[in-house]
Amino acid sequence: MKDVHSTVDAVWKLESARIVAALARTVRDVGLAEELAQDALVSALEQWPETGVPDNPGAWLMTAAKRRAVDRIRRDRRREAKYEQVAHTAGNTDQHEPQQDDVLRLMFLSCHPVLTATERVALTLRLLGGLTAAEIARAFLTDEPRIAHRIAGAKRKLAEAGAAAFDMPDGQELSERLASVLEVVYLVFNEGYAATSGDDLMRPGLCLEALRLGRLLAESAPGQAEVHGLVALMEVQASRAAARTGPDGEPVQLHEQNRGRWDQLLIRRGFTAMLRAREAARETGGPPGPYVLQAAIAVCHAQARTAEDTDWAQIATLYEALARLLPTPVVRLNRAVAAGMAHGPRAGLDLLDALADDPALRDYHLLPSVRGDLLARLERHAEARLEFTRAAALTRNAAERAFLLRRAAGLAVQDTGGITATGPPGVTLAEAARDFLARDDLDTSTVRSYGQTLRRLCRGLGDGLPLASLTPGHVARVFASAWGDAAPRTWNRHRSAVRTFAAWADLGDLTTDVERRAEIRTPVEPISAARLDALLGRPGLALRERTLWRLLHESSAPVRTVLSLNVEDLDLADRRARTAGTWVTWRHRTALLLPELLGGRTRGPLFLSDRRPGPARTPGEADLCPETGRRRLSYERAEYLFKQATKALDPAGDGCTLRQLKELKDRG
Amino acid sequence: MRYLMMAKADENAPAPDEKLFAEMGAFIEEITAAGILLATGGLDPASAVRVTSSGDEITVTDGPFAEAKEAIAGFALVEVRSHEEALELARRFRRITGDGESILQQVFN
Repeated sequence: MKDVHSTVDAVWKLESARIVAALARTVRDVGLAEELAQDALVSALEQWPETGVPDNPGAWLMTAAKRRAVDRIRRDRRREAKYEQVAHTAGNTDQHEPQQDDVLRLMFLSCHPVLTATERVALTLRLLGGLTAAEIARAFLTDEPRIAHRIAGAKRKLAEAGAAAFDMPDGQELSERLASVLEVVYLVFNEGYAATSGDDLMRPGLCLEALRLGRLLAESAPGQAEVHGLVALMEVQASRAAARTGPDGEPVQLHEQNRGRWDQLLIRRGFTAMLRAREAARETGGPPGPYVLQAAIAVCHAQARTAEDTDWAQIATLYEALARLLPTPVVRLNRAVAAGMAHGPRAGLDLLDALADDPALRDYHLLPSVRGDLLARLERHAEARLEFTRAAALTRNAAERAFLLRRAAGLAVQDTGGITATGPPGVTLAEAARDFLARDDLDTSTVRSYGQTLRRLCRGLGDGLPLASLTPGHVARVFASAWGDAAPRTWNRHRSAVRTFAAWADLGDLTTDVERRAEIRTPVEPISAARLDALLGRPGLALRERTLWRLLHESSAPVRTVLSLNVEDLDLADRRARTAGTWVTWRHRTALLLPELLGGRTRGPLFLSDRRPGPARTPGEADLCPETGRRRLSYERAEYLFKQATKALDPAGDGCTLRQLKELKDRG
Repeated sequence: MRYLMMAKADENAPAPDEKLFAEMGAFIEEITAAGILLATGGLDPASAVRVTSSGDEITVTDGPFAEAKEAIAGFALVEVRSHEEALELARRFRRITGDGESILQQVFN
């Protein structure tokens, strides 16, 4: 029984793409096509244990699926016009025979522009690879319901896109749609390539899925140079799979790999694909695309018998062309590496320094790692050591971290032997940050906030950076990459944290290159009075909330001011309170609620939290009610409760803010 | 995972006809396109050479050999997801070739 099951599974994986592709063409609905094919699979599972596996299981499944299609059509004929068309085509058996373009069309469909990248990947693996949702989930380290949901969503979108989605693209659209297919295939490949030895085997299995998809694509679209380029790239990369990790799972860099362990069969297949790419490019003309260029680089490496034989000049040229087409930070980083090898470390460093501010690379360990390498070659050992330490702190791979720390330590040995070893190195940035945060005059939320800023600074610049060498330029670099896109408020908060730290450490002004940003208050869309009434009329709404919201509405006072009110500030008779130098006034509806809220209290915060504070949080005396022992209601909590209550009012589903209550006074 | 499929020579089998060539051609084309077949080839029995080592001595004997039944007539190196997939391919192969025998072994990675 189990044997038949695994046979059915194997047959399904080998045949499902063609079956689903042929059905999708005739019924013009991927969801339905897959359903019909799945039904056929179920009957195979029912029948084959009895009858044995048929001689031609693929054809058996195809016939069974076709029969189901016809049954289905008869049943639904009157219900939906869509099936009329199917009925028409289903009568004609030729229509169901697999056609040359079926699988290619299914690929285009699975990578359709109406789908998101993750939907494309899931649907492609499902329909073209025949993988189950559970298998895809395991491969992508996520859970099955999520993948199943994603696939269902993708099918729904395709159904909404209508029959036009099934048309084979041509002309300019063809190359755009093809680019999207190639992207999905390469994404699947890289996901598998990034897997480590401890991972579930489904993950490295993704490399095979991608290779198969790529090879299949190359046969289906032989005139497209980029397709062959991608296949060549994947074949050559896959050829290094065995050599790229050491015995303990640590990564082995390309130039240190044992080239005897490279898979020559895959390399040869890569070369062949590269030749086909060149041939296709010759016919269509035009400059090489990004996959052909990347493949050419991979081929260059594969052709070198030893690392020393590598044609770096050629690789640097190819990267230059690639960086023009695809100026991603990672490509530019690799270009710097190639230039460093071809034209000396200085050239590499110049290219690299232009990348330092890129937010995309701020946590990318290869940036400091490459920089460290170039600096080491320039004999700038102290700086190199710092970069390696930084890279070690950023990488998530333990083996790689050990490797980077070894490189850093290796440089230290050389330094102490030289004349550069002069006295103790002084306090490092990380040590200073630790001491600064350990001061006892900071409250917990301040420590948390400062800690955030300083941790980012340490990650960006390296824990080991001597404090004395910290410059405004360093700080500006971290700010640009870490908070370049942040809201002005966030930017300014980090800025003032650095200023406080610098003042404490006696470093002068470190923020001269970091300008303060103007904080623009976001315009507030008020909540209508009718809506507020409806909100306050809800059964079960706590008295505190009813009073607070009503008071905010009637007073139009700032939220913080209202929350800071104390019982002793209130003048119930005149419907006003004096606090922090201003008056807060209200009208009759608040006046009706206040006495009940006070419940006889004579002093302490007006609005109290629900619970007594825990032992870890001891608020100041001013924020504690002397009668109940409860703490003052915090802005965060009040805001949270209001957002929860108003979720239904907000089209975005986030809920409204308390500030939206305040603006009502003029209209109220 | 990779499997090496070896088809044994069978002197009693009828000479391959056009139908077999066509079917085999289509099969090879299909699994090449699907990215499964990595390498394949037929082996020339007349070119067989036996190299035997015993102690320090190495003996080279030219073929063809009498026990032709044991000789390998062709091979296919396939890349598959599972043992079952390899088995399924071998089934399809045998269905095309008719009577005879194939050996299927996983290649150590």
